[in-house]
Amino acid sequence: MRTRLSKLSVLTVLAAFLVAVAPHLWAMPPTLWAFVAAAIAWRAGAEVANWRPPGRLIRVGATFLGLGLVILQYGTLWGRRAATALLCVMLASKLLEMYRLRDGRMVAALAFFLVATQFLFSQRLELVLWLLASCWLATAALLRIQRDEDAPRHVRPGHRAAGVPGMLRAGAGLLAFALPFALVLFALFPRLGSPLWGLPEEALDGRTGLSDEMSVGEIASLFNDDSPAFRVTFDGTPPSRDQLYWRGPVLWDFDGRTWRRGFHANRPIDREPAIDDGALRYTVQIEPTERRWLFALDYPARWPDDVRVTSSFELLSDEPLTTLTPYSVVSEPDFTDTPVLTPLLRRLATELPDGSNPRTREHALTLRREHPDDAALIDAVLRWFNEGPFFYSLETAPLGRHGADEFLFDLRTGYCEYYASAFTVLMRHAGIPARIVTGYQGGFWQASDEYLLVRNSDAHAWVEVWLDGRGWVRVDPTAAVSPSRIRDGARSAVPGAGRWLDADWIFGLRNQYDRLQHLWNQWVLGFDAERQQSMLRRLGLQALGVTGQAALMIAAVLLLGPLAWWLLGLMRRDPRSDDPAERAWRRVENRMRRRGVRRAPSETVREWLPRAAAAIRNGAELERLAANYVRLRYGRPASEPALRRFIERCRRWRPLID
Amino acid sequence: MTEPSTLSGMAASPLERLQAAVDAVNGVVLGKPGAVRLAFSALLAGGHLLIEDLPGVGKTTLAQAMAIVTGGSWHRIQFTSDLLPADILGVSVWRRIDETFEFRPGPVFANVVLADEINRATPRTQSALLEAMAERQVSVDGVTHTLPRPFFVIATQNPLDLVGTYPLPDSQLDRFLLRISLGYPDADEERQLLREPDRRDLLADLAAVFDEDGIRALMDQASEVHLSDPVLDYLQALVAATREHPALRAGLSPRATLALAATARGHALLDGRDHVVPDDVKQIFAPLAVHRLQSRADADPPDDVVELILQRTPIS
Repeated sequence: MRTRLSKLSVLTVLAAFLVAVAPHLWAMPPTLWAFVAAAIAWRAGAEVANWRPPGRLIRVGATFLGLGLVILQYGTLWGRRAATALLCVMLASKLLEMYRLRDGRMVAALAFFLVATQFLFSQRLELVLWLLASCWLATAALLRIQRDEDAPRHVRPGHRAAGVPGMLRAGAGLLAFALPFALVLFALFPRLGSPLWGLPEEALDGRTGLSDEMSVGEIASLFNDDSPAFRVTFDGTPPSRDQLYWRGPVLWDFDGRTWRRGFHANRPIDREPAIDDGALRYTVQIEPTERRWLFALDYPARWPDDVRVTSSFELLSDEPLTTLTPYSVVSEPDFTDTPVLTPLLRRLATELPDGSNPRTREHALTLRREHPDDAALIDAVLRWFNEGPFFYSLETAPLGRHGADEFLFDLRTGYCEYYASAFTVLMRHAGIPARIVTGYQGGFWQASDEYLLVRNSDAHAWVEVWLDGRGWVRVDPTAAVSPSRIRDGARSAVPGAGRWLDADWIFGLRNQYDRLQHLWNQWVLGFDAERQQSMLRRLGLQALGVTGQAALMIAAVLLLGPLAWWLLGLMRRDPRSDDPAERAWRRVENRMRRRGVRRAPSETVREWLPRAAAAIRNGAELERLAANYVRLRYGRPASEPALRRFIERCRRWRPLID
Repeated sequence: MTEPSTLSGMAASPLERLQAAVDAVNGVVLGKPGAVRLAFSALLAGGHLLIEDLPGVGKTTLAQAMAIVTGGSWHRIQFTSDLLPADILGVSVWRRIDETFEFRPGPVFANVVLADEINRATPRTQSALLEAMAERQVSVDGVTHTLPRPFFVIATQNPLDLVGTYPLPDSQLDRFLLRISLGYPDADEERQLLREPDRRDLLADLAAVFDEDGIRALMDQASEVHLSDPVLDYLQALVAATREHPALRAGLSPRATLALAATARGHALLDGRDHVVPDDVKQIFAPLAVHRLQSRADADPPDDVVELILQRTPIS
């Protein structure tokens, strides 16, 4: 009856929009964020507190302001980020003029679209749950708007209320009907080798994963990032925890402050390890990083075709990792890396900037005099670390020009990077070839689902020294200082970090949640063309081809359609009345409706009666029944027996047709 | 002025006499049973009636017939542009003998007042009557005089676009409970009109069916008619629809809601029922609502909107 939105509808639409736009806001610059928030607040204020609605000039101005802000922030209107930001901003401006039913419908419908665009950025489980809730609210908002149009505000007593809880219930019902369709489409929609449109890009803002260079103090930011880096499932027994060194970028060049891979780092591998009984076979599912690094245990012997391995046994994917990527590796722990070091490599592995860290150099030369043997010298340094006043802590001071000097002789407090860097400098001063390996150490073993969860907070840096006859050997100076860092993970090595998130039960919950995420990754995101084919094969539908598969999908949807229609019809049936006389009379009316005489909603019984009575043979009976009903329904309260008699007569009455 | 006469057989029950009165008016006003029922509904609800139509379709005949059968005293006031408030309300006259003012009641002091062509008088005169209708009392020279009960005004008016009229102000139109129109008679009725004697002669033959007390008793009985919850829901839904409809400037007031209930009760009593059915509400809604509503510029006129509301409001 009305064309303008009621207050309740406006608030429901605003809530739906807010929930749909929230994940986008997360990734937006503050100006756009503030723009959207202000628009929502203004519109809500106009509804609740009767603020003056913005005039035409302001609305037009806001539209152009939003457009300008997007261009200013992104430099373009194209691309995923800019385009979705534009969508958010324009919808926010639309809120300012959302007064009519069709405006409300448009915003609610576009909220669904807004929800879908989130998948361009991330497909994580929690986001899916959030977006499901968002769809639910948007559906409820559409229903609420429809209610505005359908009926005046006064609802008949005893009937389902038009409030938000009722709409949410109905919305949930509708979503439930959509579920079978979604499942069929998900299972049968022909999968393409590569995604149809732009690859999803995880929201990486402020989260960079491991970089391919290392300035001391950098990994610390990763320690606070509990998000998963990758998950590993092993074929067979997983190795013990202190063997779980997930090898990443290997750093050779040092300029006194920053370690880099160096120009020679990309040389291809010259000698592949042979696989024997001790080989480890495992599959890694790595979260998107937008970098190309893959991580493997020492020493990768078999790897996928689209992965390149460098001479330092670094794994590099051909493409940056923009989606959750699975890869299988076979590693051979018993292998001698580089038994013979060429003079060039020896020079590279002992090179240091001139004149840096004089005290470390002094100390190295002293040690060299005491321990002519390389291995003995290394042992002595590790003992020094272990027994001396060295501490493991994430809270430490930044280092200056002579970083190793300051750390080894003054600060003596730090974490893996500090130790790895200082140790390598010390080794090189002593003439022992040494390099830094960055990656991850350890992980959390999900015993129930048998996979290893490696978080970004498990990031680590360790050292490899070259020993005559043994090749490159892994040395972890951090382990000498803080054995628990390796045994129990970075979390346990930092006493009293005191973040509430570190409470054990929360940590446990987070691990449980990761199990769900893992299942989601495996069964939903990982449902690619190959798995789809294997599912169809199991159903005996292998020879289908894309066309056949599409036909199957359409057929299934067509089959589901009438079913859902029928269920919806059940749901849409008139709400049950609380008047027994009315309920009984509805049976009579329903029987007449099946004979083609339907009472319009706005028709009174007495207006309908002549038509109905004329259509059947026992019209007189119907007239008596109707008179009875009108008296019972609208007259003074009748006696119980009279009511029961009427109900009984209604139940037995059947229209008679010639 | 006619003396109240009584119907033979006073033993008949009030409801039977009501039916007889309706029949008597129908005998004079041909082919308008609906309009006649509405007129009686207004009477029973204690409200006033406005009959609006073109000249010559029987407005005055209906009004006079109603006045006669209702019994009690009745006056007819022909409104003209030079009619003054005092001509309606009455005047205080200086009596030289006892040196006092004596109030001479005007024609408004009657049970039934027939205000013919109300829109031909000036607004000042119109509002004198309209105020008397609302207050049911008259103040002249600081003295308040109560009007008799029942007090039933039947006003007629020509459509507003005729020359020489002063349209009733919108804000005062709702002093009238119902506004009805009669429309042209159909061919058969017109032929009957031609055959039968003059309507005025028929009116002369008409006798009062009630007296003051009889009408009062019926009005009391009407106010006792049962209004059930489903009917109240329907009634409220209709009123709410006028308040929410975008074409209307404002919806029906709570006073109109009360009037709707009262008129529906009167309408039910005309059928001899002790309870209101949705049909009662549906039939009186348009005559009750349309003259109280105004449309926004460029929007559908109120009568179309009200018709639409009736078509869209569900009944249970």
